[in-house]
Amino acid sequence: MKTTRLKQLIIAATVGTQFALPIFAAEGAATGTNGATTAESSPAPAATDNSAQQAEIAALKQQVEALVQKVNALEQKPASADQAATISDLDQKVRILQRQREIDQDAAVAKSATAPKVSLGQNGFSFSSADTNFVLQLHAVLQFDSRTYFHDDNAKGVDGFLLRRARPIISGTVARDFEYNLTPDFGGSQVQIFDAYTIYHGAPEFQVEAGKFKPPVGLEALQADVNTSFNERSLATDLVPNRDLGLALKGDLFNGAASYTVGIFNGASDYNSTVTNTFSQNSKAVDARLFFQPWKNSDLNALRGFGFGVGGSYENDQPATNATTGLTPGYTTDGQQRFFTYNKNVDASGVHWRLSPQAYYYYGPFGLLGEYVISDQHVSNYLPSGSKNVDVHNTAWEISGSWLLTGEDASYSGITPRKNFDPRLNQWGAWQLVARYANLNVDDDAFKGANVNTSLANPTTSADGAQAFAFGLNWYLNKNIRANVSFSHTTFSSYGGNNFTATSVPAQAENTLFTRIQLAF
Amino acid sequence: MKTFLNLVLLAALAVSASAAEVKLLNVSYDPTRELYTEYNAAFAKYWQAKSGDSVNVSQSHGGSGKQAQAVINGLDADVVTLALAYDIDAISQQSHLLPANWQTRLPNNSTPYTSTIVFLVRKGNPKGIKDWNDVVKKGVSVVVPNPKTSGGARWAYLAAYAYALEKNNHDDAAARSFITKLYKNVPVLDSGARGATVTFAKNGIGDVLLAWENEAHLALKEFGADKFDIVTPSLSILAEPPVAVVDKNAKRHGTLAVSQEYLKYLYSDEGQEIAAKNFYRPRNEAVAAKYAGNFTQLKLVTLDSEFVSWANAQKTHFADGGVFDQIYQSQ
Repeated sequence: MKTTRLKQLIIAATVGTQFALPIFAAEGAATGTNGATTAESSPAPAATDNSAQQAEIAALKQQVEALVQKVNALEQKPASADQAATISDLDQKVRILQRQREIDQDAAVAKSATAPKVSLGQNGFSFSSADTNFVLQLHAVLQFDSRTYFHDDNAKGVDGFLLRRARPIISGTVARDFEYNLTPDFGGSQVQIFDAYTIYHGAPEFQVEAGKFKPPVGLEALQADVNTSFNERSLATDLVPNRDLGLALKGDLFNGAASYTVGIFNGASDYNSTVTNTFSQNSKAVDARLFFQPWKNSDLNALRGFGFGVGGSYENDQPATNATTGLTPGYTTDGQQRFFTYNKNVDASGVHWRLSPQAYYYYGPFGLLGEYVISDQHVSNYLPSGSKNVDVHNTAWEISGSWLLTGEDASYSGITPRKNFDPRLNQWGAWQLVARYANLNVDDDAFKGANVNTSLANPTTSADGAQAFAFGLNWYLNKNIRANVSFSHTTFSSYGGNNFTATSVPAQAENTLFTRIQLAF
Repeated sequence: MKTFLNLVLLAALAVSASAAEVKLLNVSYDPTRELYTEYNAAFAKYWQAKSGDSVNVSQSHGGSGKQAQAVINGLDADVVTLALAYDIDAISQQSHLLPANWQTRLPNNSTPYTSTIVFLVRKGNPKGIKDWNDVVKKGVSVVVPNPKTSGGARWAYLAAYAYALEKNNHDDAAARSFITKLYKNVPVLDSGARGATVTFAKNGIGDVLLAWENEAHLALKEFGADKFDIVTPSLSILAEPPVAVVDKNAKRHGTLAVSQEYLKYLYSDEGQEIAAKNFYRPRNEAVAAKYAGNFTQLKLVTLDSEFVSWANAQKTHFADGGVFDQIYQSQ
């Protein structure tokens, strides 16, 4: 600053001198003129003065040049020791800051590599270790339904709202290869654990599952609750087990083109769950399923979504206590009314086997799912007049179709809307039409007997067959929210043309309107 | 048919007799990269000649404490060659991958070479740093890694502390005051010795680097002897970097024998020469004499004499809430 000021002064001085010199010269000239005039009178002193001025100017010039040189020298002179120290300090501070930033960045990278990860999105909450070997996921399923029964004389189905499912789901992995799932349900009349299992993922082809989970029999039963087309599963699912406790070996072969499951279970009756750790018999059930999707990995788009297979089970029911019959508590309609039950004093008393050929086909927005189920069970009643032993051969089948009006791809494992519901953007989610027909036929042998007390089932209160037709509209607002409405019409047939008692469920056709708001993440 | 069977048998024998390729992982601390690069090549030749098998040794380097934690967390080391025994003790105690008496399995407490802490200063030593008391002077900027993560930094810390104890009649309060002043002069803490060298030599930060002796020599070699000088203080600490086989890992890999031999060979004449050439002080007296010119003589105190044991030093100085945590303020 000082040198700059000094330089300005010098330049001003120099410029001043440069301007001054001609003036001095002019003045000199004027003086000279005058002097000349004067000189004319005294020329010798004028010449002397001029020479003195020239000398003075030359001296001034020299002084200016010296000053300019000094200024230049000052400009080129290195900063003082203090200044150099200051600059050096600043340079060090900048370098330190830069290095500290690098170290902090390295530390942040290292920390992020070992820090647990937390994520939140449409697939739920997830916490995982940095290496993802340990994962904890929180999911939830909430289904809020209404059921309205028409033409029931207000005597059977009760209209109302219900919390069909309210399940917080804790799942994840431990030690990389061990998956777990714990699913309680708060939606029913009692809190119970629906799923509680662990799966060892040794390889895609070799996995071991243990705990309580869905046995590998029915196609619709195995579909996730949040992905079924209708509020309730079809009549065909009445004949397969729901949940059971056991140990299964399973795997996917050929990149999922084939899959298998085989396991040993306590043995659950038709569409019933083993809800507690008590079990009715020593003998165990073997359940197994083979399923093929031959074109899953091919370029044949039209066949890629085709899958078929067969599930089945075999057990030798010998209930050990009077409290457990080993039998289904009953078959229910779409509206969850029980239209068939066995009489009291009737127990499972031998081999129970099931067989279920099954298939689905999904292509673009179109979906089709069908299965046929045989549930053949040896049943006995124990009466003072003697026991009756019968192989009850029940069958059921269903076929359901779906069409996504908004063009999304239909799938066994759920729908993802192309555009999530957002009226501000004129987006309305995905819309799907669904329809289903199902039929269940109870073996006539269940009703044969001298009278209603000696038969295995009462033909005046239980139907020997049910046929249900349903259709509906599903609205997927986004991946997590779904709303649907459907109507189901179920008719019943009676054994031997018996008339049903007026208060029995099958006394008249069931007509039910369902609605649902579903949240799943 | 018989001929065919004989051929099959011969082929099977040939396959079984053919040389195997053995892979080892040596998890080491920061400044040993060059040492083990050279040593691994020498050992591979030795092992091939001895067993017929080729051996390929991979190296992993970082701050000694961090490396130990990595092994505890599952880094599959066959052998560890770390900066200080405490870090290998931690592996033994926390993961049980090797027995507690690991240090007795090889000579010299399983430390085939030693080192110490010296000063690396800028050429001409503009700050006139000659000893530890110059390092703590106001206006001297000191580069040293973080003793929480770096073995070399712990040795440097203890060397300075030992100097202060000696100069103050073993007055611990005075030593603590001294070490506080020292770390007030530290503008930045790297996690390992190599990072600190980069900070000092490449980034131009600081007036003095408290360095492993070998690291200081390496800096001269790498960055130019015209840029730095090595200053040997009047007193420093005898740093004993130990080595050990990680038994459970080596057994699981089927490399126990070669891992043991890998470490034993460090004590051989060739191993000791390689250590000396890389400026680690060899245990072998003959080799030490041969390379005496590489190493300035100075007073070296031992950890045990000044700090009782590594466990004690760790607990007092480097554990969470220890002296270092109390005295170090982030710059």
